[in-house]
Amino acid sequence: MAVSVKKPSTFAQFKTLLIKDLQREFRTKDMLSSMAIYALLVLVVYGAALSQTGRQFDILQMSGGLLWALIVFTSLLGLNRSFSYEKEDGCLEGILLVPLDRSVVFLSKACSNLIFLLAVEVLILPLFFFFFLTTTTPAPTWPMMLLPLFVGTIGIAGIGTLLSTITVNTRGKDVMLAVLFIPLIFPLLFACVSATTVVVAGGDIEGIFRNSVLMAAGYDLVMVLLSWVLYDFVVSA
Amino acid sequence: MEDMRKSKHPIGGLADKLALPALTLGTVLTALAFLLAFTVASPVMGAKVNGVELIGDEMIGNQILLSQKIFYFHMPVAVTSMVVLAGTAFFAIRFLMTRDALYDLKAKICTELALVFVICTMITGDLWTRFEWGVWWTWEPRLTTYLILTLMVIAYFILRAAVDEPERRATFASVFSIIMFIDVPISFMITRLIPSSVHPVILRTDSGLSPDMLAPMLCALFGFSLISYGLYRFRTRTEIIGQRVDVLKEALDNKLGN
Repeated sequence: MAVSVKKPSTFAQFKTLLIKDLQREFRTKDMLSSMAIYALLVLVVYGAALSQTGRQFDILQMSGGLLWALIVFTSLLGLNRSFSYEKEDGCLEGILLVPLDRSVVFLSKACSNLIFLLAVEVLILPLFFFFFLTTTTPAPTWPMMLLPLFVGTIGIAGIGTLLSTITVNTRGKDVMLAVLFIPLIFPLLFACVSATTVVVAGGDIEGIFRNSVLMAAGYDLVMVLLSWVLYDFVVSA
Repeated sequence: MEDMRKSKHPIGGLADKLALPALTLGTVLTALAFLLAFTVASPVMGAKVNGVELIGDEMIGNQILLSQKIFYFHMPVAVTSMVVLAGTAFFAIRFLMTRDALYDLKAKICTELALVFVICTMITGDLWTRFEWGVWWTWEPRLTTYLILTLMVIAYFILRAAVDEPERRATFASVFSIIMFIDVPISFMITRLIPSSVHPVILRTDSGLSPDMLAPMLCALFGFSLISYGLYRFRTRTEIIGQRVDVLKEALDNKLGN
């Protein structure tokens, strides 16, 4: 009896891997809950850190920086987790045994990381507004901050996926990820903070906002493409 | 013994023969640059002082700033560090293509040299910001991008130390050094892209440097480049010879054991 096996398309492979990550997360809620609680705790720390500032203190000028610091630290926590459970039961070895292009692994992992980071941002953004921005009135352009938020998160997910694959195989992996990750995303962070601050505090939308978002998007493009190309070497090492 | 001489990584070729002359010439040129900077190059009026300003708790008019001499070393070491990092990226790509451990060794040596030059740049640059701009540190685009470059060069060695298996360590280090290299053109171009930056653009055809200032700068630039080449060759050679000694020791142990 002849057995015919149809090779699944690349998109089907991508979809399967992505759904595997999402399903795992919805069953355990491991990464999302720890990220959300961590973010809330950082907000509480911010509350203490800013509690001694005066009434006239201009929170609007600082809000972009505070929000992005929160996102960076929260995503560090999540990215550390995203690969450690792949290691636990030899799941990564199993995936690598499948004859599929390694870049599919990268794309699916980066996409699931992106989805989790966006989900956490959906939670922490209202909380951030509730705690810090209800005492003042942000500039009417504030909804535009969603654009740098999205562009920045793509970069964080892309670079973070490559780096967390590297650091999961190193000693002291939690610290290692921070050591590699923070300098690498600095240009992205810088651009996103300036874009966010401009739309929240009001200012030169045309010039600063557009240039910053373009800069962030360009950095994203270079970094994600490079990570994609180099992923094969990292994951098979 | 015969097959050792014909090994995969030969030493003592033309590149190795040039190492000592390069190092010597580089040292002479750098020393010459030092002399020229303090003797021939004309003193520069305080670049940023208009009228009277307070610099380092002193009221300063249009004073001749001796700290400007830092420039003749700061800019050459900065350029050299970037060139050496390009070498790291090149050898990293070669390693990923060939999986030859020699390329990883060369990439590591280049990054070691880059660390030296990067630290020199940070020290001279920090002296410059203190005495010319009056602050210890400022989050200016060039300074910031160069600082993260410094952090990444340090992170490269932390990464290497955190992986035990040689093959995996070499792969991770190569991949990281390729991504790290993205920051080099950014740091180099940023003063051109963001013209409001305080840091001047030096590498251009109309830089406004008079010949007596250009001479020490170019001497230092070529001097440091030659020194880095000489050091790179010597380090590579030492490492290869060290590896051969290890192989010989192992062979000897096996012989004695039998």
